[in-house]
Amino acid sequence: MDAATLNLLRDPAGVPFYPVVFQALYVLTFALHAAFVLLSLGSMGLSLFGATRQGRDPHWKILTPHLIQTGKLSVSILIVLGVAPLLFTQVIYDPNWYVTNALSGVWVFAFIYLLILGYLTYYWYYYANKKGSSSNVLVGTVSFLLLVFAGVLMHNFAVESIQPDQWMQWYAPQGVVDTSGTNFHIQPIRLAFLVSLAIPVVGIFLQNYSQFLSTRNDFSKEYLGFVSSMGTKFASIGLIISAVLYAFWTLEAGVLLHPLSLATVAGVVVLLLLAIKNSNSYITTGVLVVVALLISSVREYIKYQIMIDVGYNIYDYPMNIDWPSVIMFLLTFVFLGFTGVAFITTMAWNVGKTQGVFDAQNHTATRRLASVTLWILVAWCLFYFAWGMMVLFKNVLG
Amino acid sequence: MDHIGLFPLFYFPDIGSAWLMGITGTIHILASHTSVGAAMLFAFLAHKAYREDRPELYEYMKKYGMFLLIFSYVIGSITGPGIWYTATAASPRGISALIHNFVWVWATEWVFFVYEVIGVFALVYFIGKIDRKTHLKLTYTFALASVGTLMLIIGIISFMMWPGTDAFYVTGSASDAFFGLNTFPHMFLRIGFMIMMSGVIGMVISSALPDRELRFELTRKMGLVSMLGGFLTLFFFMWYISTLPESAEVLLDLYLPDIIATRIGLMVAFSLYFAVAVFVPRLINQPLASVMVAVVLVVGLWPGEKLRESLRKPYVAGRYIYSNQIISRDVPGKGIKSEVEQLAQVGFLGASPWIPDRLRTITPENRLEVGHLLTKRACSNCHSLEKGGKFRPLMDKVAGWDAATIKTFMQTSLATGAIPYMPKIALPEAEFDAMAAWIATQNH
Repeated sequence: MDAATLNLLRDPAGVPFYPVVFQALYVLTFALHAAFVLLSLGSMGLSLFGATRQGRDPHWKILTPHLIQTGKLSVSILIVLGVAPLLFTQVIYDPNWYVTNALSGVWVFAFIYLLILGYLTYYWYYYANKKGSSSNVLVGTVSFLLLVFAGVLMHNFAVESIQPDQWMQWYAPQGVVDTSGTNFHIQPIRLAFLVSLAIPVVGIFLQNYSQFLSTRNDFSKEYLGFVSSMGTKFASIGLIISAVLYAFWTLEAGVLLHPLSLATVAGVVVLLLLAIKNSNSYITTGVLVVVALLISSVREYIKYQIMIDVGYNIYDYPMNIDWPSVIMFLLTFVFLGFTGVAFITTMAWNVGKTQGVFDAQNHTATRRLASVTLWILVAWCLFYFAWGMMVLFKNVLG
Repeated sequence: MDHIGLFPLFYFPDIGSAWLMGITGTIHILASHTSVGAAMLFAFLAHKAYREDRPELYEYMKKYGMFLLIFSYVIGSITGPGIWYTATAASPRGISALIHNFVWVWATEWVFFVYEVIGVFALVYFIGKIDRKTHLKLTYTFALASVGTLMLIIGIISFMMWPGTDAFYVTGSASDAFFGLNTFPHMFLRIGFMIMMSGVIGMVISSALPDRELRFELTRKMGLVSMLGGFLTLFFFMWYISTLPESAEVLLDLYLPDIIATRIGLMVAFSLYFAVAVFVPRLINQPLASVMVAVVLVVGLWPGEKLRESLRKPYVAGRYIYSNQIISRDVPGKGIKSEVEQLAQVGFLGASPWIPDRLRTITPENRLEVGHLLTKRACSNCHSLEKGGKFRPLMDKVAGWDAATIKTFMQTSLATGAIPYMPKIALPEAEFDAMAAWIATQNH
C-alpha cells in the first residue's frame, strides 16, 4: 500500500487536536486496559486450578471465590477501559483501524458475541462455584476458553493493522476480491509474550491481596503467608518467562536495542527484585504500572515506525481543533474522573479494611469526596443544558 | 490520482453488514436503556428507603442490581462498543466522520462510563457494608452519571440523522453538530423509554419476591413507573417526529400507516399490562414479566431501530456521507469536498484504491465479475444482493427486469438523484452496463 493511498484514507474532517495527544492517551489507556486483561486472565486461570483443590484444601477454599470475584470485576473494568484505546487509535490511525475491521468483519461481529457469551458463562461459573456445584470447573473452563479466544481475536486485529503491505493481498488474493471479512492472522511470539504477562500480574496481585488483608484479624497469618508466597513464585517465574518472550518479540520487530525497549528491560529487572523481596507490594505495583506503560509505548512505537516506513506519519495529520469539546473532555476527565474514581476507590478500600459496616460519615475524605462528586455532576448537567440552549438559540434564532 | 478514501468492503450475505450493526444496536438499546432507567429508579428507591427507613427496599435494590450487572453491564457494556465496532466494518466512513467530529464527546462519555461501571459494583455490593447516607449519595451520583452517558451519546446519534441547521457545515464545530434541532426531543424521548424499561424490568424482579406484601407494593410501583415512562415516550415521540428532516418525512409517509398500527397495538397491550400491575399486582408473575421484556425487544425496539435507520437514508451521518460511503456535499467548515462529481467521472473502478488491477478495465471476460463487485460497492450498504435476502433485497425490487431496463433506471433515477431516499450515484456508462448485466443474471 503506497503512502498516497494511506494518506487518502485519513478522514477529510481532520483531527480535532494535536495527534501526539491522542497517541499519548492511547498508550496510557491501552496500558490500563491491558493490566485488567492480564489480571482477569491470571485470576480466572488460577481460580480454575483452585476450584479443583478447594474441596480438600482450606486455603484454596478461601482464595478460589476471591479469585473468581476478581476475574469478574476485572472483565467489566477491562471492557470499559478498552473502549478508550480503540477510540484514540482510530482517530490517528484510520487506515489501520478501518481496513483491518473490514478485512476481518466477521470476526469483529463474532468477537462481540463471544465476549458476551464468555462473560455470561463466567457469571454462571461464579454462581456454580458459590453453590458448590460440581459443574463449576467445566463451566469455568468454557468461559475461560471463550474469553481467551475473544482476546486472540483482538490480537488478530492488532497484528493485521500493522501489516499494510499485506492488506491488498488479503483483500484480493490473486486479484479476486474477497468481501467475506474472514481474515485471521496471528503472530505467535507477540501473542505468547502478552499472554505470559498474566502470570506476574496475578502474582503481584496475590502479594497485594495478602498485604491488604494483613490488617484484618479474620484472615489467618498462615493463609496470608500461603497466598503471599505463591504470589512471589508467580511474579518471579512469570517475569523471567515474560522477559525471554519479550526479547524474542522485540528482536523480531527490530526494536530490541531501542531506548524504550532497554528501559522496559531495566523496569522488569527492578520489578523482579521487588517481587522477590516482597517487602511492600504496593511499591511493586507502582513499578508494574510504569513497566506496563513502557510496554504499551514499545507496542505503539513498533506501529508508528512501521507506518513511517510506508510513508504515513500521524504527526502530519491535518488538524481542525475544536476547543469547546477539548475543554469539555479535559474538565470532565480531571474533575469528574479523578474525584469520582477517588471517591469509589477510597470507599472500596475502607470497606475492604473494615469488618462490618464502614461508616463514611466519620471518615472525612470519603464523606467529602461523595459530596464533591455529586456537586460536580449536578454542575456538569446544568452546564450541558445551558451550553445546548445557547448553541440552539444561536443557530435557530441567530 | 483519481482515488477517493474508500475502504475495503465487508459484506455479509442475506442479512447485509449494516443489519449486523442493527442487531447489535437493538440489543444494546434494551440493555443500556434499562440500565439508565434503573439508575434513576435506584435513586428514587434509595431516597425512599433512607427517608422512610425501609431496609427491605435495599434488598430489592440488591436483587435488581445483581440482575442489572448481568443484563445491562455484561450485555450492554459489550454491545455498546460492539455497535461501534461492527459499524467500522459495515460503514467505515460513516463512523469515521462521527469519530473525527466527536472524539472528545466520546472520550467524555468514556469518563462517565468508567464511573458508571465501577459505581454499579459499589452500589450493589456495598449495600449493608457502608452507611446509608453515603450509599444514598453514591446512588445519586450513579443516576446522574448514567443519565450523563445518554446526554453525551444523544447528540452524536441525533447528528447521524441530521445536524438540524446549516451552522455545522459552515463552522465545522462539534457543538453546532451536537446540539441540533432534534437532540433534546430525542433525549427526552429516550428518557421516557428508559423510565418505562426500568419499570418493565423491575417487575421481573418484584414479581418473584417472596414477601407477598412487598411484592404487591413494588409491582404496583413498577407499574406506575412504567406508565409514567410510557406516557413520556409517546409525548416526546411526537415532538421528535416534528424535528426530522424533510427527506425523512417522505419516508415516514411510506412507513407511517404500519407504524401507527403497530404502535397502537403495543400501546393498548402495554397500557393494559401496566394497569394490571397497578390494580391487580397479584396477576403479574415472573414468566409474564419476562415475556413482556421480549415483546418490547422484538415488537417495539427492532422495528423502531429499523425505522430510525431508514429515516436517515440516503445518508449515514450528518447528511453529508451517503450510505454507500461517498461524501455527498461540501462541508466548508471542515474543508470537506463532495465526491459525487469525481465519482461520475472516474467511476468506482477509478476511484476505489481497492480494485485489483485485472478488474480496473472492463472486458467481456470480467464484465459480470466487475458488475457484481460494483453492485456490492454501490448498493450493499442498504440492500442484500441475494434473491430473497432479508435486508431490502435488491433482486426482489428489480425482479424480472432485463439489463436495459435496469440500466435505464440507474441512469434516470440514481444518476440524477431523483429518489430522495437513495444516494445520487452517477457512474460512467460502462460501469452501469456492467452492473445492469450482473443484476439481470440474478433477478429471475
